[in-house]
Amino acid sequence: MYIISVYSENQVGLLSSISNIFTRRGINIESLTVFPSEFPGIHHFTFRAITTERAARQVVGFIEKKVEVVRAFYFPDNITSSSEHGILEDYLKNRNQ
Amino acid sequence: MGQRLTGAEILLESLIAEGVDTVFGYPGGSIITVYDKMYSYSDRLKHILVRHEQGAIHAAQGYARATGRPGVVIVTSGPGATNVLTGVADAMVDSTPVVVIAGQVGNAMLGTDAFQETDVVGMTGPIDKWTYQIRKPEDVAPAVAKAFHIASTGRPGPVVLDFTKDAQVGVGWFEYEKCTHIRSYALPAPADEAAIQAAAELIDEAERPFVVFGQGVVISHAEEQLKAFLKKGGIPAASTMLGLSALPSDFPYYVGMAGMHGNIASNMMTQKCDVLIAIGMRFSDRVTGVPSTYAPNAKVIHIDVDRTEIGKIIRADVGILGDAAEVLERLTARIRFSFHDEWAASARNYDRVEDEKVGKVETAPAEGPVNMGEVVSRVAEMSGRQAIIVTDVGQNQLMSARYSRFVQTRSFITSGGLGTMGFGLPAAIGAKVGAPDRQVVLFVGDGGIQMTIQELGTIMQEGTAVKIVLLNNNWLGNVRQWQELFFGERYSQTHLLNPDYSLIAQAYGIRYRCVEERAELEDAVREMLDSEQAYILDAHVCEMGMVYPMVPGGRRLDEILLNKDEWYRDGR
Repeated sequence: MYIISVYSENQVGLLSSISNIFTRRGINIESLTVFPSEFPGIHHFTFRAITTERAARQVVGFIEKKVEVVRAFYFPDNITSSSEHGILEDYLKNRNQ
Repeated sequence: MGQRLTGAEILLESLIAEGVDTVFGYPGGSIITVYDKMYSYSDRLKHILVRHEQGAIHAAQGYARATGRPGVVIVTSGPGATNVLTGVADAMVDSTPVVVIAGQVGNAMLGTDAFQETDVVGMTGPIDKWTYQIRKPEDVAPAVAKAFHIASTGRPGPVVLDFTKDAQVGVGWFEYEKCTHIRSYALPAPADEAAIQAAAELIDEAERPFVVFGQGVVISHAEEQLKAFLKKGGIPAASTMLGLSALPSDFPYYVGMAGMHGNIASNMMTQKCDVLIAIGMRFSDRVTGVPSTYAPNAKVIHIDVDRTEIGKIIRADVGILGDAAEVLERLTARIRFSFHDEWAASARNYDRVEDEKVGKVETAPAEGPVNMGEVVSRVAEMSGRQAIIVTDVGQNQLMSARYSRFVQTRSFITSGGLGTMGFGLPAAIGAKVGAPDRQVVLFVGDGGIQMTIQELGTIMQEGTAVKIVLLNNNWLGNVRQWQELFFGERYSQTHLLNPDYSLIAQAYGIRYRCVEERAELEDAVREMLDSEQAYILDAHVCEMGMVYPMVPGGRRLDEILLNKDEWYRDGR
């Protein structure tokens, strides 16, 4: 699991064109939040997605190519990932019983 | 102090302020206000009326590639906008600066499925560099300024302005200010000193250095810097298809085109080099073959202005983010004078084999039907290598790339990344409009010309002196070639029954000549090149023509087919 964190200008249609970058590479977005950042006029998006480090790096590169995007970052979400993984495993185990 | 103008007038004034003198377009309901105002601007802004919006954008691409300035397209909403999408995607992957202005319905009708309303912002976002919906007249000038800045800087690309009716008819103050800075959009910064130093060290230590350059060299006007770099380092260099003509064909260190149908020397040297310097190119799969087998012995230095390209396909040992001209200048200053004479001369051995096994067979056959490569070669010779060569997509494109020869840059215009059939004819029109003093020769197949053949009407109306060489084999030749080689000669849906092109030419009032015999070819080419007007040379070429050499898909670059039965063997 990776967290991809994006700071951008406020622009109509930007969310959809950023999420398209994930879609085109077949990456599912597990969660998404959008909120005003601490910087005036700049919005902060965070995406969580299950993907590889290489893909996360490329996605961040392509997100940063969007003209309105100020900066984008990615970092692993190991702790969350393993705990969520456990929850999912339990869920599947219960369902199969 | 500015003036009070309508948004439509502000658009036209803004284009003129950006130095635009020609636009390609097609009117319609949601852009009619702009066309109405254009009526009074005809002395300052030339409008080329195409026959289909796809023709407008490909013409704008041809114009941009010939001149280096953004091509401008004006179309209406709905189908006008959707018809340009192919060209937008094409311009994006081939880094072509294009500014598209598409009409849009009124603000209140957005999202209501109004007549000719469509989600242009949503559709163009994934395939262009920037999209903006202009909803009020005060936003027009700043949006146009940003559009030109974004389209033409960094890695160039297409931008789309979705121009609503309210913004066109509303009145606002006009004062034009060019855009030079967008806080979220960084222009190329000087390259990292440590990376340049690391690259220089690798190059100085190399025994078999090799350069593969792309269109980035043309875009950043780095042709002279590239020559100086190659000369000082004694480094042989290959071009991608889009980089063709950045170096003169007879430049001593130039070894030809890289990739699937590239020259043997370029592909073999890629596999043998110990340092590969990639300049303004993106390691397309048509260049690399299977990426995991590409340049297996090489440390890779990748110079590109687009950060996402570095390491995207081929891992870079040294990535240099920056403008090719700036980087090459600094790198040339850092490297030692070197000679790799034996290595550089090895290209000639490969060339000898290629010429004997492929080149002569294709371009100088003694008998049999006329070959595509033969026609391309005669045009190259007889035009003194001076023409801008425009191609469509397929065998005509590969043959043009292989057998055209160049002395000056910006002389090869083709649809590379997207591979858009139908690109050629309108792109040639745009190239001729942009470079009226140069000879513009289009090579196009009988399949591709019929995808945008309506643009013959544009040629007729505008008197655009494009020289059209129709390489006519009655097949979708490139697909047929694959079917012959890899699908057991099952020619599924690739045979074409052609119209009588002489009648088509006659209908459009365009000079026409058909060539079926080798003996007529030179005379016809001369007549075509000498013609002051547009000309169609309908060359009936070998139906079963094949483009060799070929690195089949899924192979390494040193696995090269010389003909149907023979693989290239190294050291032969």
